[in-house]
Amino acid sequence: MKKVLSILLTVIMILALVTGCGSQPTTQSQQPSEQPSPSKDAESPSAPAEKTKLTFAVQADSTDALNQLIAAFNDSSELYTVETVVMTNDSGNMHDQLLNSLSSKSGEYDVISMDVVWAGEFAAAGYLQPIDELLAAKGWKVTDFNAGSMASGKYKGKNYVLPYFPDLGFLFYRSDIVSSEDAQKLESGNYTWADLLAMAEKYKGQGGTKYGHVYQSGQYEGLVCNLNEFTANWTDVKGGLEVMNQFTKSDVTPKDILVYTEGETHNAFLNGESVFARNWPYMNGMAASGEYTVKGNQVGFAPLPGGGTVGGWILGINANAKNKAGAEEFLAFIAGPEGQKINATVGSYLPGFNALLTDADVLAKNALLTNQGFSNALAKTIARPVVANYSEISDQIQIKAHEYLSGNGQLDSAADTISGLLK
Amino acid sequence: MQTAKTSKTIMTVIILYLLIIAFPFIWVTLTSFKPESEIWGQSALKLFADQPTMEHYEALFKTTILNSLKNSFIIASITTIYVTLIASFCSYAIARLKFKFKKVLVAVILATSMFPQMIVVGPIYRTFVKLGWTNSFYITLPYSMITLPVATFILITHFAKVPVEMEESAYIDGASKIRTFFRIILPLAMPGIFTSAIMTFIGVWNEFLLSLTLNSDEKFRTATVAISFLRGQFQIFWGQVTAATVILTIPTLIIVILFQKQIISGITSGAVKE
Amino acid sequence: MKNISKIVESKTAYILILPAVVFILLFSIIPIGESLRYAFFDFQLNDQAKSGLYINANYNIALYDETAFYIRSFLDMEEEVVTKDETKLQIDAIRNMLDEYDQYMLNNISSPDMASVVSVNNEKLAYVTKIRDNIMSSLEKLYSFDEPFVCEEDMFAVASELDTAIISSNFSGLNNFKSVLTDTRVHSTVGFTLIFTFISVFFELCFGMALALIMNKALKGRGIIRTVSLIPWAIPTAVAALIWSYLYNGSSGIISHLFAWLKIIPEPTELLLSSTGSLWAIILADVWKTTPYMALLLLAGLQTIPHSLYESSSLDGATKLQQFGSVTLPLLKPSIFVALLFRTLDAFRVFDLIYVLTGGGPGGTTESVSIYAYKVMFAQTRFGYGSAVVLVMALTVGLITFAYIKLLNVKLIND
Repeated sequence: MKKVLSILLTVIMILALVTGCGSQPTTQSQQPSEQPSPSKDAESPSAPAEKTKLTFAVQADSTDALNQLIAAFNDSSELYTVETVVMTNDSGNMHDQLLNSLSSKSGEYDVISMDVVWAGEFAAAGYLQPIDELLAAKGWKVTDFNAGSMASGKYKGKNYVLPYFPDLGFLFYRSDIVSSEDAQKLESGNYTWADLLAMAEKYKGQGGTKYGHVYQSGQYEGLVCNLNEFTANWTDVKGGLEVMNQFTKSDVTPKDILVYTEGETHNAFLNGESVFARNWPYMNGMAASGEYTVKGNQVGFAPLPGGGTVGGWILGINANAKNKAGAEEFLAFIAGPEGQKINATVGSYLPGFNALLTDADVLAKNALLTNQGFSNALAKTIARPVVANYSEISDQIQIKAHEYLSGNGQLDSAADTISGLLK
Repeated sequence: MQTAKTSKTIMTVIILYLLIIAFPFIWVTLTSFKPESEIWGQSALKLFADQPTMEHYEALFKTTILNSLKNSFIIASITTIYVTLIASFCSYAIARLKFKFKKVLVAVILATSMFPQMIVVGPIYRTFVKLGWTNSFYITLPYSMITLPVATFILITHFAKVPVEMEESAYIDGASKIRTFFRIILPLAMPGIFTSAIMTFIGVWNEFLLSLTLNSDEKFRTATVAISFLRGQFQIFWGQVTAATVILTIPTLIIVILFQKQIISGITSGAVKE
Repeated sequence: MKNISKIVESKTAYILILPAVVFILLFSIIPIGESLRYAFFDFQLNDQAKSGLYINANYNIALYDETAFYIRSFLDMEEEVVTKDETKLQIDAIRNMLDEYDQYMLNNISSPDMASVVSVNNEKLAYVTKIRDNIMSSLEKLYSFDEPFVCEEDMFAVASELDTAIISSNFSGLNNFKSVLTDTRVHSTVGFTLIFTFISVFFELCFGMALALIMNKALKGRGIIRTVSLIPWAIPTAVAALIWSYLYNGSSGIISHLFAWLKIIPEPTELLLSSTGSLWAIILADVWKTTPYMALLLLAGLQTIPHSLYESSSLDGATKLQQFGSVTLPLLKPSIFVALLFRTLDAFRVFDLIYVLTGGGPGGTTESVSIYAYKVMFAQTRFGYGSAVVLVMALTVGLITFAYIKLLNVKLIND
């Protein structure tokens, strides 16, 4: 037994040494992490007196916007200091993590960021604090904020969220391949899915491309977003499914379009394999970075025929927050003009506060906003259903649609089930 | 008594087999040196990168992955020590001693491993929140749920094989059961103990759900959870994921190598005789 | 003298099992029991009327307060736009009603500790139901007037929460289990999981046995053989699944291209697209990942087989194959049993691998019971129904375990 223990201990010590050397500052687990945390920096100079600590549950931000937001708030607030709790970037896992915490009535997080489709469920469960009073106190109207984001957080007559950053699906096209005449038609939005299919067939193969069009059609939430667009916000479920099937079967899409997520989409498009792509604004950032075959100046933007699905993240207050007044102050800061401006200028996110859409600093940092095709897309957004049992409905839509598209199911059965679910 | 020819064939088969087993890992290692643009598309199928790069490793070391790796080691080691210890007590009693409700105990231990982990996460999380135990090394305690049943069952089979005569001769010498256990039985069951220790270690090392839920703080995050952070909202940073896989796998292999030397010495020393 | 030592000795067993029993009780039985209680309730988190385990009727007084606040503020907004006196009178009437009800809540319902959900008796239940009906009918009367109202839709949406606030018992007995048994998705997921479990555990046993025999041989480079064969196992499942999804990728995956080149599949893209393709892709990844686990368990068993047995049987002129059948297999039976058992239990609970590789696709054909239970519980927050699914799943595994014990006729414990 001694031998076992001594071996184990030696191993642990060796490893602790090996790994410990690489990360010296973290050897004391009680000490704050070695990364310069903005909240700490802000705390020391301005107010040595005890400020109330607030926690903000949010995914890591690849840009510096989040850090600057927090620092700006901590500088300006007399009473509060905010610390971020960085959640996993896997949205499904983050949802479960939040659910565990919120359902235990824990006040662990004061302000939480959410995917737009979670709000209905969380509001129905009573986990969120309505924000109508806050809006009234600040003199803001619902229409001051991004309409799609606000709609996704309105449940039973009450508003529960403010936008963090809105997102929308739209069409990317290769401006160096598509003729200016066709480009104009696309950007105006006056075209049909059949037109897009025809164009995809026409341009496929030009400029070294292999595919005409790529979009998200794997069995996951992205399929629902795309189907929302193909069916023009569920107004023509059967027709939309049929068109989607035409795209799937045609040779303008990759053979494995039915496993495509955003990752496959941007790889195909940015590596110059596809003429068209349906994706979120982030892909423009990747193109503009210049690290890929397709550069920023080869890309154009247009609305999708059926409108673009609203995505992105929204912010709400935990109904069991330890400090609601503080949570409201922070929420108002981050979703209001100051916070949204930092987010839009530093992180190039779309602002959720509408007045900023014409702000010169924001426009300077966000080239998309000055693009006509993108502006048209922004004007044609459509939302997914806001219901308490959204994930159940979404799950069944995914399965039914994927079953039909993969040739394992009938069109009528899929269309009827999906229409029935949305009633 | 094999001819040189057949042993050569066997070696070839073994080498081929090992290559197949190792292939995904080799491929991942090679991919971790490719720049992000070569990870997808045509160049993804090439063995070596056109422009090999260390950028993924550099990016990875800027994150807190090393700290997470350390957490994983601490958590897995603590769990391994205490689970192996209590499992060996328990399984010795089951294999050798008489007591009431033995069958019930065995059935219960087995039954607990029929439930998926996801259903215990919620209740355990709520208890941990109440006790203020989230984000700490207390997480090692609930890991008994996933490791104790396997460890116990492996050890039962090994204790059962230790010859009864050796035990009896110890009793005749007047040793107590506990003394016999530590002096005679435990050393003889060493290969089984090492096996169950490795099982426990890797079981904890691979765990994701409990770790994500209970230790969400960066300071206490384990390596599996840290890897799940290597993605953006719409993309996975494949270069970093492959690099992290390499970093995560190599130290585990070192542990396994250290342990298995002990297993080998366990047999060659001839401890187990009839 | 002998008697005393016997008492101590018989207690030894209990002392030895005590720590394990405590741990199993605290971290397995109690949490599992807590979750399984849910199965007897219509318990779902996304509906405040069902988000607890309620045997008796309750009232959500916090929700009443919030609703009353909203109704008042909507009334204020309407008051500014309405023109007729009778409308204004109706608005005032509703306000008075709310004042009266607020008072009632304060005197009769609210508890000293300000709990948001309080238990109510039949009399009180009848009264809060009356409150709901009265408010609804007065609101209907208000909106029947011909006025340029501004928030009619929101008003009714908010007022509907008065109904949500009334919490009746959501104890559902065996209803959840009845639904599980008739749920076609449970049938298909159990079917898929059984197929997956048996095929992959079968291959794992064959390969694991071969690997264990190789590892046990005194070959040159045994250390390397052992180390290399353990690589897959040392990679966490969540990460291994990600890696395989990259290797299987239709355009950049080396494995899918290799298989297409070997004509195993018609096109590289086919692997994750068809239900059979995905099934085998999942099985391959699982066999790769867990064969070392199987091998290590069997190896531990092999090492306890004394060499003298082989020596004596080879003196009797037995061939290697005969030795395997007559010496190795029978002595290895307990180890094979444990390895099979735990691999089966694990395989039946398969989650991470499928979740990452196919997400249950195409068209839900590769959905395992765990994935379905996970979706029901965590994504859809129907914990009651999800717990029932989990319980049915555990019972299925229990049956398989029982079958193993009978088939292999293993005696792990000698009483």
